[in-house]
Amino acid sequence: MEEVLEQASLARRAHWLVQLRWLAIGFLVGAVFVARRILDIQLHEQALYILAGIILAYNTMLHVALRRTDRRRTEQAGNALHRILILQSTADLFILTGILYFSGGIENPFSFFFMFHMIISSTLLSRMQSYIQATIAVVLFGLLLLLDYTGLVQHYPLRGFAPEGLHTDGRFVLGYWFVFATTVYVVVYLATSIVAQLRKQQARYRNANEQLQQKDHIKNEYVLRVTHDIKSHLAAIKSCLDVVESGLLGPLNEEQTDFVERANHRAEKCMHFISSLLRLTRMRMTGHFDRTCFPFKNLLYDSFAAIEDRAAAKRIAAAYEIDPAIDQVCGSEVLLEDTLTNLLSNAVKYTPDGGKVILRANDRKNEVLVEISDTGIGIPPEEIGDIFNEFYRASNARETVRDGTGLGLSMAREVIEKHGGRIWVESGPEGTTFFLTIPKDSAIS
Amino acid sequence: MQEGKILIIDDDPDISEAMTVVLESKNYQVSVARNSREGMDRIQAQKPDLIILDVMMDTPQEGFTLGRQLKEDPKTKDIPVLMVTAVKEKTGLDFKAEAGDETWLPVEEFIDKPVKPQILLEKVGKLISKRK
Repeated sequence: MEEVLEQASLARRAHWLVQLRWLAIGFLVGAVFVARRILDIQLHEQALYILAGIILAYNTMLHVALRRTDRRRTEQAGNALHRILILQSTADLFILTGILYFSGGIENPFSFFFMFHMIISSTLLSRMQSYIQATIAVVLFGLLLLLDYTGLVQHYPLRGFAPEGLHTDGRFVLGYWFVFATTVYVVVYLATSIVAQLRKQQARYRNANEQLQQKDHIKNEYVLRVTHDIKSHLAAIKSCLDVVESGLLGPLNEEQTDFVERANHRAEKCMHFISSLLRLTRMRMTGHFDRTCFPFKNLLYDSFAAIEDRAAAKRIAAAYEIDPAIDQVCGSEVLLEDTLTNLLSNAVKYTPDGGKVILRANDRKNEVLVEISDTGIGIPPEEIGDIFNEFYRASNARETVRDGTGLGLSMAREVIEKHGGRIWVESGPEGTTFFLTIPKDSAIS
Repeated sequence: MQEGKILIIDDDPDISEAMTVVLESKNYQVSVARNSREGMDRIQAQKPDLIILDVMMDTPQEGFTLGRQLKEDPKTKDIPVLMVTAVKEKTGLDFKAEAGDETWLPVEEFIDKPVKPQILLEKVGKLISKRK
């Protein structure tokens, strides 16, 4: 897993370098053209264009080679990728030296561009490889200066830009090369050190994250086992109470009925809580659910219908504004309906008699935006960040409705996020609005 | 009046007894088996008109295995099976609440535990009358 991930990011960077090189070719051709034709600087135009052609050729080859390694995610492909990175980096150094040779050598300040290569090598290659690249740069540039100085090769001066004869001034050449070499090594030293620190930190984070995930998994397993056990006992309790309550074992007097009903009611609440917890935990663990495409408008109407009576009983004016353009949504119909019904029933629960609850839904390009507003008790501002947490219940919610589970909103968030959507809330003294976006065709994450 | 023979296969004695009381109130003849082996024996001996089968018995999915076996055997494949389950969340299987998916689990009906007496009688009545 780690190996592949590392490889994927290496591959991305290798592609990025190829992209940069296309730009560099354009820049080179442009610079040569401007220098020669507009600034009237003497340089070996033809040779430089040929060099641009060479870069073009090997960049194309690299592009093809990378495409090929992309398709293989094996260790060999990883090694091949590494070789390609070293190869292109080295090729760049040779080409840059060639360019400098045909455009003045020491007279050409573009020798600074070696530093780009040093920084790139330091971030992509190992520390050792980076120093090897630095040494190649220092030797190549040194060789260029030396050959120019000794006159063993022809010098192509940058006439019209730099004073002539710099390349034969021994002290200047040596000094220039010395500063060049130290700069190259210091740059590589600094860049590799920074990168090493970052990598170490990254590894630490990754490690911590893995440990957290592991712990979370253990927690979920535990919750699953415990809740399932509780659920089977509860099922038995309820089955027995149901038999008594139904009067099959003989009639009950009023008081007996009342108490059995209470016990049954509490068992049912507990059952509901356990079922929610099981569903939430299972979703966290498996991370998948049945996905179908269905008319979302119907789901909105159904969720609304589910709370209409409860709202009417509290004389709450419940209304909906549903955009007729809303059509199909792909996802889990059951979970999405549960989520909406749950948010709507919260709105009714926490809105005093005579208040208002509105369900709004708007079609937006790739998603549906749902808003559920109420004129209820609101959420204290300092608690708004916590309400989506498991088992959290806002202080005023606890006072209003005693036996909530604190799981509804964390479930809602889990469902919406699994669909690739977002859920957030705005709340003030005049009421609360929950917003959800649901992508129409979510690749479920 | 004899309404029909029902076999409950469930390892939870409280639940099976509660179901027995409910079913006997409508004059069904009820017997109980604690696991699938005992269930198989009873099926051979009593030829029930309906089997109420729990999914989780000694081993998870024991009920599923038995359900499939019953439907493969020509002698038992016509006996309707009502599967009772609290297992949904545990196994992560998402089966339809209504009639079982014939292709992989050939049972006639699924209900969630705990079963309300009224619902149990309704489903049982429907399955038995269909058979007659």
